[in-house]
Amino acid sequence: NLDLQPEDNRLTSGAAFDEPGAYKSFLAKLYAGISVSGQEGPAGNPDLTGLDEGFSNYLRLYWSMQELTTDEAIVGWNDGTIKDLHAQTWTSGNEFIRTMYSRIFYQVALTNEFLRQTSDAKLDARGVDASLRSEIQNYRAEARFMRALTYWHAMDLFGNVPFVTEEDPIGAFLPQQIKRADLFTYVESELLAIENDIVAARQNEYGRADQAAVWMLLSKIYLNAEVYTGSPRYSEVITYTTKVIGAGYTIPTNPYYHLFLADNDTNGSQSEVIFPITFDGLHTQSFGGMTFLIHAAVGGSMKPADYGINGGWAGLRTTSALVEQFPGEANSADGRALFYTDGQTKEINNTSTFTQGYAVEKFRNVDVNGVAGSDPTGDIPDTDFPMFRLADAYLMYAEAFVRGGGGSAADAVTYINQLRTRAYTNASGNINQADLTLNFILSERSRELFWEAHRRTDLIRFGQFSDQGIWPWKRNVPQGATTEAFRDLMPLPASDLGINTNLEQNQGY
Amino acid sequence: GTVTDQANALPLPGVNIVIKGTTTGTTTDFDGNFSISANNGDVVVFSYVGYGSQEIIYTGQQRLNVVLIEDTAQLDEIVLIGYGSTTKQDATGAVEKIGEKEFNQGAIVSPEQLLAGKSAGVRITSGGGDPGGGSEIRIRGGASLSANNSPLIVVDGLPLDQRGVQGVRNQLNAINPNDIEDFVILKDASATAIYGSRASNGVILITTKKGKTNSPFKVEYDLKASVGTVSDYVDVLSADQVRAIALTDSNYNASLLGNANTDWQKHIYQTAVGAIHNVTVSKGYESFNFRANINHTSQQGILTGDLYERNSINLSAVKRLLNNNLKLTLTTKGIIDDNKFADHGAIGAAVGFDPTQAVYNPDGSFFQHVGQNLAFTNPVFTLANNNNRARNQRNITNFNIDYNLPFLEGLKFNLNAGLDYSELSGKQYSPASPNKPGSINYENFYEGLNRNSLLDFYFNYKTKLESINTNMDLTAGHSYQEFYIKSDRRETESSGSLIQRPTIINRNALESYFARASFDFDNKYLLSLSLRRDGSSRFGEDNRWSNFPGVSIGWKMTNEEFLQNSLFSNLKLRAGWGKTGQQEIGQNYGYLGIYSPGRSDASVQFGYVNGVPQFINTLRPEEFDENLKWEETSQYNVALDFGFFNERLTGTVDAYYRETTDLLATIPTAAGSNLSDLLTTNVGSVLSKGIEISLNGALARSTDFNWDLGFNVTFQENKITKLSLGEDPNFFIAQGGISGGVGNNIQLWKEGLDPSTFYVFRQVYDTAGKPIEGAYVDVNGDNQITEADKQAYKKASPDAYMGFTNTLNYKNLDFSFTFRGSFGNYMYDNVASDRGNITTINDAPGQYYVNGHSNVLDTNFKNQNLFSDYYISRADFVKLDNVSLGYLIPGEKVDLRISLTATNLLTLTKFKGLDPEISNGIDNNFYPRPQTFVLGLNFTF
Repeated sequence: NLDLQPEDNRLTSGAAFDEPGAYKSFLAKLYAGISVSGQEGPAGNPDLTGLDEGFSNYLRLYWSMQELTTDEAIVGWNDGTIKDLHAQTWTSGNEFIRTMYSRIFYQVALTNEFLRQTSDAKLDARGVDASLRSEIQNYRAEARFMRALTYWHAMDLFGNVPFVTEEDPIGAFLPQQIKRADLFTYVESELLAIENDIVAARQNEYGRADQAAVWMLLSKIYLNAEVYTGSPRYSEVITYTTKVIGAGYTIPTNPYYHLFLADNDTNGSQSEVIFPITFDGLHTQSFGGMTFLIHAAVGGSMKPADYGINGGWAGLRTTSALVEQFPGEANSADGRALFYTDGQTKEINNTSTFTQGYAVEKFRNVDVNGVAGSDPTGDIPDTDFPMFRLADAYLMYAEAFVRGGGGSAADAVTYINQLRTRAYTNASGNINQADLTLNFILSERSRELFWEAHRRTDLIRFGQFSDQGIWPWKRNVPQGATTEAFRDLMPLPASDLGINTNLEQNQGY
Repeated sequence: GTVTDQANALPLPGVNIVIKGTTTGTTTDFDGNFSISANNGDVVVFSYVGYGSQEIIYTGQQRLNVVLIEDTAQLDEIVLIGYGSTTKQDATGAVEKIGEKEFNQGAIVSPEQLLAGKSAGVRITSGGGDPGGGSEIRIRGGASLSANNSPLIVVDGLPLDQRGVQGVRNQLNAINPNDIEDFVILKDASATAIYGSRASNGVILITTKKGKTNSPFKVEYDLKASVGTVSDYVDVLSADQVRAIALTDSNYNASLLGNANTDWQKHIYQTAVGAIHNVTVSKGYESFNFRANINHTSQQGILTGDLYERNSINLSAVKRLLNNNLKLTLTTKGIIDDNKFADHGAIGAAVGFDPTQAVYNPDGSFFQHVGQNLAFTNPVFTLANNNNRARNQRNITNFNIDYNLPFLEGLKFNLNAGLDYSELSGKQYSPASPNKPGSINYENFYEGLNRNSLLDFYFNYKTKLESINTNMDLTAGHSYQEFYIKSDRRETESSGSLIQRPTIINRNALESYFARASFDFDNKYLLSLSLRRDGSSRFGEDNRWSNFPGVSIGWKMTNEEFLQNSLFSNLKLRAGWGKTGQQEIGQNYGYLGIYSPGRSDASVQFGYVNGVPQFINTLRPEEFDENLKWEETSQYNVALDFGFFNERLTGTVDAYYRETTDLLATIPTAAGSNLSDLLTTNVGSVLSKGIEISLNGALARSTDFNWDLGFNVTFQENKITKLSLGEDPNFFIAQGGISGGVGNNIQLWKEGLDPSTFYVFRQVYDTAGKPIEGAYVDVNGDNQITEADKQAYKKASPDAYMGFTNTLNYKNLDFSFTFRGSFGNYMYDNVASDRGNITTINDAPGQYYVNGHSNVLDTNFKNQNLFSDYYISRADFVKLDNVSLGYLIPGEKVDLRISLTATNLLTLTKFKGLDPEISNGIDNNFYPRPQTFVLGLNFTF
């Protein structure tokens, strides 16, 4: 008999959906696509095999693209071409850029497959009952949100990319390339299409996307629309951030740093969080995500136990450029200046040496009482990553206002002052309308949102990423130097260009 | 009378003696004596395997004293060719038989080591020095990229699972080298095509020993006792040198250094003791013979704690019935394979551990870098406390029926039923990492089952077509083989409790039809045609079946008039072509879209119920290619076999050209088109060609002194001719992962290049010839050194390799030695590139120092320069692999042979790393091959 089928817990696509719970499990994989790297935690049976599994984690790669390429972060390791990210000397052969791209399109393929497997025809054929069907309609909206989120990353990082939807097959075919502006239209139309299908704001299960996440993502793409399409859409930013702001999220009274602790899903800080990427020391294990962000930032004389982990990986620090964003630098009255300076120098002479450059102690695996998270071995943290939070919506509103998108100056100032009051624990850091300039907003975004994977996009929107803007070790020189403007877009990986003859490389590469 | 051996005048026991044309016969006893009653004019035939037979006409002699001459290269020697046999003179493919006499000597645990250096086109590279460890076997360099490149191994008619069995170091260890009669190596496709879908990398047929008909009861005890020592260490810095470099650290902290001077590598290796015992009994009657062997092997590794043990029993019985027309053969092997695996991580840790620290603290506890979770664990602690034992119990049984059908002369039926069944049970324990506070002990109880079952049969018809003076040999048959693999594991999860992991089951099957027709026209012209049709469960219905044809011709030129009485005793020209396949890709359902559930430690949180987070296990669709199909290899072979001086000097020259298309390769898939970044699919092609020359000579032949030598050399070239669906000539895939940062590769696959080509920056040197750190050739001239400046440079595979064996006998003394050589191969010294720099030593990711490679003293490199071609160097070598001296003491009741063997005695090479012979060309924490001395005692009763 040569017709052999799986006999263990693997299933054919025919058999997999006999179990009603399979749909929710498959949906869970779409979220797991961002947080973990495969079917076994923290590593094993990986989704992607072209790079070390720990490095191939979506959030870790996205964070590296958004932060290592900027003044906010630098890494000392010798892993492949990782140092080229901060130096902005990457080529189309860079394996981290390649794997980010692979991860993005893996996520797209997963969501497409979910939509194929939950089409009306399939559900009819399987005789799915009405109550599960209506559940599945929610899942489908979330799947489309997750796909839109990923296509946004593709549009932001790579611009003109392969384009596949649930209409395409699975197999050895060559996808067509889509122009960045057309992809913008697609992402926008998808989000508008699901806006009223998805679960209402703050009504979905924790960890799952809802209507506010859709509004937030719409605000994000409209804020950067000029970069993506050449046409500004700031008034839509006001529209959608207003919807987010009106949905009931609040800036908590907790200190700022509580947002980044192991119990940030329960300590009160979650009242601000619109869309988290959840992690758990025992159940959501990965060497990417928060495991990376916390371990890699600990080294030198830092005590791992203070961060709820068993040891540091001595890699990530920041440059003096971020330190200098805070008045008083490391001793700033601004509580968001979470730097560790003991034994660290502010300036960096050798990028490989952890003790050069201030360490950043933003993310920790301890709760508000300093108790470490649930993993007794201290490897894997519980801390959730706040991908979208209210502070960002406030800052986007203020920026869109300054850029002429409408809205109210008073609201913009009030929003910013809410953030600064939390940061200073009083009104001493508050601003007035005259302070509300574009430069202030770019700096304020860095102070509020540093290391939260926004920086590269922000710098590009402000024209400060490549041929403008200097920070230490940009272009691989200690004082920093400008690079070529084409680096505002990442290259399409040489490996995909070698395979997919429909693709044209981004200009300059 | 008495029968003796011409070579040493010793009596020959077990010589077959028959009166020609009758069933009357006998055999010589232990002392070579025989008696037989004969009539005047009878022809008495004396025959003995490995010796030329003699016919003597009986003319009333009282005694017949016969001297048999050992035959070095018998042309009528039977050679297996898969589902049948032929003779050496009638073989038309590249087929080589390596018998017991040619085997390497010594305390050999793994059967493939018997063959190292013995056959042209066959390269056997042991994976390192671990006891009972496996080897990479490559026939003509391997035909594939990502799929399996190892030959198909067939033991007494049962093809083994090319993936091996679980939990053993080397699945071939199940075959006791002492039980092996011979190896037949099928190299070219015309010979291997009869094995179809698994034959692209050649086939090795192993025949185990059986008893001989009409042979006396014989008991043999064989002992090989060995000691092995580490032959070389990695060159690391001394404690003082590390102290001097640590002083240059800007954050120098003297308190982190110790006062000792520890050579850590000396603390992890031991003198490895081993013993191999074999007790064999055999007896042959007129219609029944048997052989039984009991083996105990115990071999320590030179890495402390490494141990391999084998207890096996091997039985074979042959029964002839119905006037010798029905032959039943049963062979069964029971093997208990026990391994204690030492943690190989200790090898790298010993190289990198701070030599200023002592092994033990003053209080007797192990020194550790407590709290430094990226620091090396004390390797002596690791070896003393990590425990990983596994037992694999295996049975390989083969039952064969060979029946000469009564109704048609020359027609026979052959049926073969085989089972290879093994059960694994293992236990692994690692103590909590002493460097990581809070870490926990890890336990892992694992179990496995492998079952490989085979049923095949064929009909064979041999006849002579008198009218056209042609011998015809026809074979047709069917085969079905199924492989079933199951694994279970119970291990500590991060919460500290033991968890039962889901069972993993894999089953795949192959069904085949095969046929062969061979013709010998006028005893001069040979033609052989074969066809196999294979179906594999690994492919979808539309691609499941494929045909694998082979054709070959031969011209026995010495049978032509014009070569009669020439200096040639044999001259044969052969040529062949065949198509073979490949389906060994590791995965079973690659054409079928399947879903894999995720484990609970890779689940995601969806909300809370009563404040308790709810975690949902995931379900993942797997990548697939529904058009997945066979990889196909097409191979041409042209050869000349020759013999001079009555076969005193023989040789073969083979030339081959092989192209593999529709390669099963794991390559990047077009982004968005599938459900992973890499996909195993049919893409691209590789080309290889080569020339193989082997020469065998009997330099001296006399009563007292014999000298045989064998030499073989292979020239080969492999390259990738196509690698992707696209047309980009610069497309490449990085290969060859190295240490010194995650995700670093030192080799590449690219069109036009050997698959083991390195991919590096070209180092710039100062006038004194020293490498200038970070200065590389700016290949693209853009004034910066980026990845685009890396170039393809040299390769790990050799252009040529050779083997050279000498065997000398003087009276009862014998002496043999074997050289092996490899030329044109390069190695990357990853230990030097990773650890030969100052930053590695004094800027560890924590509060400690580590040791570096002494190469830093030559380069003064501050940082790692992993991709500099400075670390790539020639690794040509000649090794004196095997030297053996033996002496036979014949006795009244017992013969005793004493031997002394040394292996891995000498390596001539310019490569500065540990060993120039590492199959992937990357020297990185290699388990050193020991130098071994063996005392052998063989008693024959």
